[in-house]
Amino acid sequence: MSQAKGSIVQQIIWQSMEKRLGYAFAAVLACATSVSAQSAGVEQIFNVPDRPSLNFYGSPGLIDMPTADALPDGQFAIGVSNFGGSTRTTLTFQATPRISASFRYVGIKDLNIAGFSTYRDRSFDVRFLLNKESRLLPAVTVGLQDFAGTGIYAGEYIVATKTFEGRARLPGTIKVTAGLGWGRLASSGAIGTPFGGNRPAFVGGSTGGKPSYDQWFRGNAAPFAGVEWQINDKWGVKAEYSSDAYLQEAGASGIFTRKSRFNFGAEYQYSERVRVGAYYLYGSEFGVNVQLQLNPKRALTPLRSTPANPVTQRPSRAANPAAWTTEWVANEASSGILSDSIKPKLEAEGLTLEALQVTANKAELRYRNGRHHATSVAIGRVARVMAASLPASVETFRIVTVENNLALSAVTIRRSDLESLEFDPQAAGALLAVTGIGEAAPNLTNATFNADLYPDFAWSIGPYVSQSYFDPDEPLRLDGGIKVAGTYSPAPGWKIGGAMTYRVFGNIGDSQRLSNSRIEPVRTNTILYARNDAVLENLYISKQWKPGANTYARATAGYLERMFGGISAEVLWKPVGSRLALGVEGNYVKQRAFSGLGFQDYSVATGHASAYYEFADGYHGQLDVGRYLAGDAGATLTLTREFKNGWRVGGFFTLTDVSSADFGEGSFDKGIHLTIPTSWFLGTAGKQTVSTTIRPTQRDGGARLNVPGRLYEQVRSGHRGALEQNWSGVWE
Amino acid sequence: MIFLRFLKFAALGLVLVLGGCGSDKSSSDKQLAAAAGQVLAQIKAKAGAPKGKAPVVQVTAKQIDNTKIPALQVNPETRGGSDFLKRIAQRNDATPGTVAVWRTSDNAQLIIRGGVLVGSRGIGGDIISSEATPTVRAIAGARAGQGERRYFMSDGGSSDVEVVLSCDIQNLGRSDTRIVHQSYQTIHLRENCVGGAGNRIGITNEYWVQPGSGIVRRSRQWAGPYSGYFELILLKN
Repeated sequence: MSQAKGSIVQQIIWQSMEKRLGYAFAAVLACATSVSAQSAGVEQIFNVPDRPSLNFYGSPGLIDMPTADALPDGQFAIGVSNFGGSTRTTLTFQATPRISASFRYVGIKDLNIAGFSTYRDRSFDVRFLLNKESRLLPAVTVGLQDFAGTGIYAGEYIVATKTFEGRARLPGTIKVTAGLGWGRLASSGAIGTPFGGNRPAFVGGSTGGKPSYDQWFRGNAAPFAGVEWQINDKWGVKAEYSSDAYLQEAGASGIFTRKSRFNFGAEYQYSERVRVGAYYLYGSEFGVNVQLQLNPKRALTPLRSTPANPVTQRPSRAANPAAWTTEWVANEASSGILSDSIKPKLEAEGLTLEALQVTANKAELRYRNGRHHATSVAIGRVARVMAASLPASVETFRIVTVENNLALSAVTIRRSDLESLEFDPQAAGALLAVTGIGEAAPNLTNATFNADLYPDFAWSIGPYVSQSYFDPDEPLRLDGGIKVAGTYSPAPGWKIGGAMTYRVFGNIGDSQRLSNSRIEPVRTNTILYARNDAVLENLYISKQWKPGANTYARATAGYLERMFGGISAEVLWKPVGSRLALGVEGNYVKQRAFSGLGFQDYSVATGHASAYYEFADGYHGQLDVGRYLAGDAGATLTLTREFKNGWRVGGFFTLTDVSSADFGEGSFDKGIHLTIPTSWFLGTAGKQTVSTTIRPTQRDGGARLNVPGRLYEQVRSGHRGALEQNWSGVWE
Repeated sequence: MIFLRFLKFAALGLVLVLGGCGSDKSSSDKQLAAAAGQVLAQIKAKAGAPKGKAPVVQVTAKQIDNTKIPALQVNPETRGGSDFLKRIAQRNDATPGTVAVWRTSDNAQLIIRGGVLVGSRGIGGDIISSEATPTVRAIAGARAGQGERRYFMSDGGSSDVEVVLSCDIQNLGRSDTRIVHQSYQTIHLRENCVGGAGNRIGITNEYWVQPGSGIVRRSRQWAGPYSGYFELILLKN
């Protein structure tokens, strides 16, 4: 058939303005494939709940006041608002169906505090949905705003929202909200102090950063209220009564004149993910709000990989007994011939054969996965290659995923199950029920090994960009240029790796805000490190291996990261089916010179004992206890939500024996991690991810070494939890 | 100084144009460069593409006569255009209905059991597997029926979501099918399925079935939330 005119594959058509925004990260996130509203579209099938609109704080809300709505589970919202000299940029994440967290960066022009021409600050919020809206009862949410910053937005609230749909003679949906605010949200129209107590006024320029729980819900309380009318799919209007007096902005600094407690606005849903609004606030000011929402669960482009051929069916033993002979086993060359036939078939799938061991009815195949984010996809491909290549008498397939000399797990599949379940109505679940996932021996004996694996050299050259956030003079600084990286692998588990960057443009090093640390400046000298064009990022030799059952080990030496070099060793214990993993890591490192290959005088022994736990539904916890780079001792707690497609969103904080006065701004180290697989927007198979860590302030307390190749993430990808989470991938 | 700066930008430009390269296919830099390249390609494709959807291809009698192997024409409604699929495997298993795997020109696959689309591969947002036994039985007998359809849909990543629909198959009586120069006696069956919270999901499939053999000559079937509906025409069995 040669008259094929096209594929049946749905392609992305870049058509709206939204899509012309180009390469900017936020824009890539904002892009949407056009999905028409149909009765069996993506929204219905994946049961996407309605998204509430956001307020000027980037939280579900009216205009300046919050509502009780929760975002859909897992939702990401980015809000950028501006009015009266204040620009607020907020990232909100609905971490669980009831709990959401926000991180905000604000710039207030001409605010007369601490001598800044533009006052800039970071703040964190949390919200908890106490009651989901029901037919009779409203949604009720309690929220803490700016609960850990220097506190300019500090306020708490309890708020209720009720939705009325198709009532009266009005079209659309009406949401009525009423609440009670404290702190900033009680600065106007207070009605008393229900929980008593005094609340000190906001003082600019303090260290901040600690939860100010002694102030929560203390002092005056004031009511606020509002109405949102979503007229149709596109247009909505809002009106509210605000309990915020804008004491600092309108009062002390006179940036604008607050003439009224009432705010009004209109919003337009530009696309599925983008909403814009224009407002008239406090009787004197115009404002704008751009709201962007997306859900990690829904890929921008659905993942599309070339399918494997259907499972090759063996002839029945009765019809073709000759095919079932086991005479081939006696021939010593058989194993080599089979491995030669398998190798190119695996390569076509982006997989590499490490070793093959065959007996008359059993085969173990060890391979590396260089292409698929989900190991289960790779396992499915390997199984089909085995079914297409091995003699009929081989009934049991043991598939061992190997990650840089670490045999992660052995997945045992019966060939007859593979043949009979491929088109079963419950193909994935049925196969999982008869598949064994167990421990793999560190090494395989009596096998044919792929002779082409060592030595192996790989290199890459490409652009790089590095960022520096929240410099008061320049909130976002960027460096960019060319990065060259290479690895050389002389033998199993051995790796010599290095990376160099050459900066072509950038302004991180231009900052004049040099370290003012009261402890050893292990991380606050970034600016000095950034003043070189040619930089050796790292250059190290490492070896990793499995010393025994369920244990994994790594040793690394060299220039480990930009700021430190030395030696590092790690051991991890993690049984294949265990949710718990335990590890220890010890390092002795010396601080690198700001430029060149030399070292400074400071050296430190740093290391941690770590416990990792996989909770249900993709929630992960990690606790690290030990000694940090500045010689301080303490612990880091990290909580991460991992989506099945590889998105990871996490938060962490570290408490050490460094006092908050010595630590400086922020009082202790904390931040958020974000990892997005590139396949999520590209829709093509790949293991690559884009990651960033954002800290409100980078100080020297609670700082950990960045060693390349830590074990836990390498190992976990091939263990039971990760395999089951993506098990349907075996049939893709 | 200015010259030096120009050189720097030229060098960066070169790297960006080359899109980054390396020996290692898993280099993340390369992947990012590929992302930028893909975006560019899509913008270019959009600029060059004619407005609207590609038209459905009309097959000629001669083309059918010259085709010696089984062939299935697929006309995706949402995307437009046509593709012609080859049958690459056919087998019977424990579930009622013979299952056939059809391959598209760009190596995607449709899995069709007794004339019913039960799976797909390589389209994106695929149907990983599905249970359609009541529908398969109704079609085999060219008669009305009812029952449950159970889908395991790819969520667009490497995991799945189960969707259960309750279906009712009506017999709309005889309605012959003409495929180019050949006419077939067929019964028109219509399958309405609803499900999900508050029955928010609704799909309608149509089949034109030859009584006796149970061969589906023509159909319009739902291929998942990302793909929408496909028209399937069996050009040669």
